[in-house]
Amino acid sequence: MSGAIAPRRRPVRPRQVVAYVVLTGVALLVAFPLLLALSYSLMPERDIVQFPPPILPANPTLANYETVLNTIPIGRYLLNSFVVSSAVVIGQLVTASLAAYAFSFLVFRGRSLLFFLFLSTLMIPWEATIIPNYLTVRQLGWIDTYQGLAVPFMATAFGTFLLRQGFMQIPRELWDAARIDGASSFRFLRSMVIPLSRPALATVGIYGFLSTYNQYFWPLLVTNQTLMRTTQVGVAQLRFEESARWGVIMAGVIMVAIPTLALLIAGQRQLIRGLTAGAVKG
Amino acid sequence: MRRFAALALIISFVAAACGGAPAGGGGTSSDQSGLAPGKDVKPAAKIVWWHAMSGVNGDALNKIVNNFNASQTAIKVETVFQGTYDDLLSKLNTALASNSAPALAQVYDIGQAYMRASGEITPMQAFIDRDKFDTTDFEPAVINYYKYQDKLQSMPWNASSSILLYNKDAFKAANLDPEKPPLTFSEVTDYAKKLTKKDASGQTVQYGFGPSIYGWLFEQLMATSGALYCDQGNGRDNRATKVVYNGAEGKAILDWWKAGVDGGYFYNPGIDNAGATNAFNAGKSAMYIESSASLRGSINNAKFQVGTGIYPRPDSKPATGGNIIGGASLYILKSRPAEEQQAAWEFIKYAMTPAVQAQWQSDTGYYPIVKKAYDEGPSKDWSTKYPQFLTATNQIRNSPQNRATNGCVLGVMPQARARTQKMIESVLLGQATSQAALDAAAADMNDQIDKYNKANK
Amino acid sequence: MRWTARDGRSLAVALAYLAPSFLLFVAFVFVPLGRTIYLSFFFTRQNGAISTFAGLDQYTELLASPIFHSGLVATGLFVLYTVPAGLLLGLVLAVLLNQRLRGINVFRTMMSSTIAISASVGSIIWLLLFNPSLGLLNFVLSLIGIIGPQWLIQPNTAIIAVAITTIWLTLGTNIIVLLAGLQGVPEEIYEAAHLDGAHGARLFTRITVPMVSPSLFFLLVVDTIGVLQAFTQIHLLTRGGPVDATRALVYSIYLDAFQNFQFGYASAQAVVLFVLVLALTVIQFQVVERRVHYQ
Repeated sequence: MSGAIAPRRRPVRPRQVVAYVVLTGVALLVAFPLLLALSYSLMPERDIVQFPPPILPANPTLANYETVLNTIPIGRYLLNSFVVSSAVVIGQLVTASLAAYAFSFLVFRGRSLLFFLFLSTLMIPWEATIIPNYLTVRQLGWIDTYQGLAVPFMATAFGTFLLRQGFMQIPRELWDAARIDGASSFRFLRSMVIPLSRPALATVGIYGFLSTYNQYFWPLLVTNQTLMRTTQVGVAQLRFEESARWGVIMAGVIMVAIPTLALLIAGQRQLIRGLTAGAVKG
Repeated sequence: MRRFAALALIISFVAAACGGAPAGGGGTSSDQSGLAPGKDVKPAAKIVWWHAMSGVNGDALNKIVNNFNASQTAIKVETVFQGTYDDLLSKLNTALASNSAPALAQVYDIGQAYMRASGEITPMQAFIDRDKFDTTDFEPAVINYYKYQDKLQSMPWNASSSILLYNKDAFKAANLDPEKPPLTFSEVTDYAKKLTKKDASGQTVQYGFGPSIYGWLFEQLMATSGALYCDQGNGRDNRATKVVYNGAEGKAILDWWKAGVDGGYFYNPGIDNAGATNAFNAGKSAMYIESSASLRGSINNAKFQVGTGIYPRPDSKPATGGNIIGGASLYILKSRPAEEQQAAWEFIKYAMTPAVQAQWQSDTGYYPIVKKAYDEGPSKDWSTKYPQFLTATNQIRNSPQNRATNGCVLGVMPQARARTQKMIESVLLGQATSQAALDAAAADMNDQIDKYNKANK
Repeated sequence: MRWTARDGRSLAVALAYLAPSFLLFVAFVFVPLGRTIYLSFFFTRQNGAISTFAGLDQYTELLASPIFHSGLVATGLFVLYTVPAGLLLGLVLAVLLNQRLRGINVFRTMMSSTIAISASVGSIIWLLLFNPSLGLLNFVLSLIGIIGPQWLIQPNTAIIAVAITTIWLTLGTNIIVLLAGLQGVPEEIYEAAHLDGAHGARLFTRITVPMVSPSLFFLLVVDTIGVLQAFTQIHLLTRGGPVDATRALVYSIYLDAFQNFQFGYASAQAVVLFVLVLALTVIQFQVVERRVHYQ
């Protein structure tokens, strides 16, 4: 009788059990630092400084989170980070789609040279540009503004590269057909290329959001007012003078990491699909 | 952390590129009244104060400001927290370049030479001379630190000093008198030997002594040795031209430290101050040296009785040796209108009253700048509750006042501190002998001082 | 190859599309880089203003400096410790995650979670893990009988500690990109390989690695550039120490520019770093890409 009738639920095979055990073990190991941060954020300072180090909170408390809330305006920081990261994402999607379109569909002389010029921006160390950039932003009167935080990052070579690879997957015949129908090149981009490239666009968007949200040095530089600061600067602020309060720091770390982790959970499939669709194939 | 000095000084380039050229420091005439706004200038209705006090210290600071704002109607002080001392200084540089500086700013001890050289401050002495403000009751060690050529540049605000912290329970377990901490290098070594414990496998579970590799601690050890760190009277009689810590005193400090680490009874927590505090609180080291500002954290978090002793010194206990104070002070900025500077001065006078100082002490653990504060209720209660803190006060009071104990001021002090850390590391790791490491560090620093002095005449 | 009116027209159209990106790059990358290169030929004051023309002096001083040499070694070690291990680990985990199992997405999210973590947050957590008295790392090691080193205090382990942190930080990206690469491999190829009797390690080296080689190459380039420019980990964990063991070129630039105020000298280093990154990338394209199997 075994195997005679296909069961609604396939029985779990030993191979699968092994797979689950291995996956669980490895996943816990990789996520361990984060889980530990979560655990420490719930511990009173007195427990943390014991040896051997505790792993789980014996006396869980939210006091560290309270301290964070009382110390820095984390809500405002989160808002700022969201506004800036979203603005960068929108900017990057616009500039990168336009550029990627030119690099994938249009034929013009100097294409390789310009493309290489784009890619070369990835190789320039930020130290080499940060001070002149600061001066520019200051001259524009953009200190303590969202545009000062966002505009310098609105072009992306990485995103352009990724989108170009995605666009190149679109069958050439579509382009030829559109040209015969007399569609303008911009209309083709808007009505065909963009809708067909959603996964790649999502990937660029998620990536842009994560990298902007996680910036530290630039926001520190171009904001003077508490109310314009971003989350990463806020976490750094928590590294108090002269003493390390690990519980409080970890509470701040967790609060700051939650939005990006949520984004990852929501967008992880899109991210993989977008990359599968082309990006990293030559 | 103070040693994060590097982080943001970016802005000083920026300031320069925008044409903010530093001017020379104040003159040397005996009375500086002329530098202050006229006595009849009406104080501004509102001023901004940038500070770097977070947590309980930040709360205590805001309490003082709120009380001040409530005590009168003419002036309202608004506080802005600017992160660490380093963050604040970098922000201040940016702000000076774009003319958006506050009237009042809290800057850490080693930022002194930088602030003075910036030419952007109105020296505190100007207000003091103008109003014949009486500073005779001020803690001499503290006020001397913030003087250049005998003129007070800024008003000391939060003062601490480096002390020896020890685990009384561990002392008892090792049959040491828990009320008698070691004083000299040899005593620390002897105690450390007795306090070091190993488990069955030969792993050390408790070290006797565990100071972090922190340049400030070395500066303090030079002071308790009665030795200068840089020339020109530690840069106080004139701008320093070289560091001089590579003499016999410096070598004795490094030899002592190195022998302890090699012997296995000094613990090396690296360059991380917090690491040394963590090790002590966790019982991994039985003694260490740190700022008195970290004392309260240890009392609160350690599961043993915390004892305090005065800072280690050479076996000869030189009479000229003593401690340099640490902490930060308040600067009034010249670029603000006279009315705002006037208002800032009014606030400072309020902040220096004994009652406010006593409140500040009991809320934070920093010691009062004004000696009369100790007669106030909150201060007395505090001393009863945390008698350990008196060690810091007494030690500073008992320190002779001379150039060695005034501490070195140097335009490149943050770099000098970083360089001594590397120097100590190279000795502890066995990469260089004490003398070779001292000489190498001094040569590097002298090169930098030279460049600095040439570029900033 | 002569320019025709048609060439001009098509270039004009293309430039219109490229303009938004291009203007931003010019304003925030190319012009600033130019200013930096310019500065590298001058001595600068403490406050960053140009004082005197230096010609190639900064460069000759740099090339003769022992700190620069040890910095190059540290940079090289950092790349060597980080990139290959990160790629290998990422690939193994991606293969592990490329199974059809109920709930696999939970595991995918957990393992790729580090993509969402900033370098500063990640470094703060690892700082705690490496902490000699509170850190769990050595405690866990001691449970299995290993006496852990004082990670951040010994020069040779400090660079490993920074590398471990970096590997962890980049692991999420590596997994996602490689997983995407694996999912692009047609099932039939695996089935055919199975029929030919390929299993385990053989399947991995003969099929998996070649099939995801474009993704691996992409990551090789991106990770190498990332490591050469990594700053936050070093800043938070070791500050370039002990005794310059982790003073990679990028950190040396930071120290000289923002701590020692030698901006011209730092600019010269930034130019050297740029040339180094450029050269490495070109080499990777010339040498490694030939072995990449594009479908």
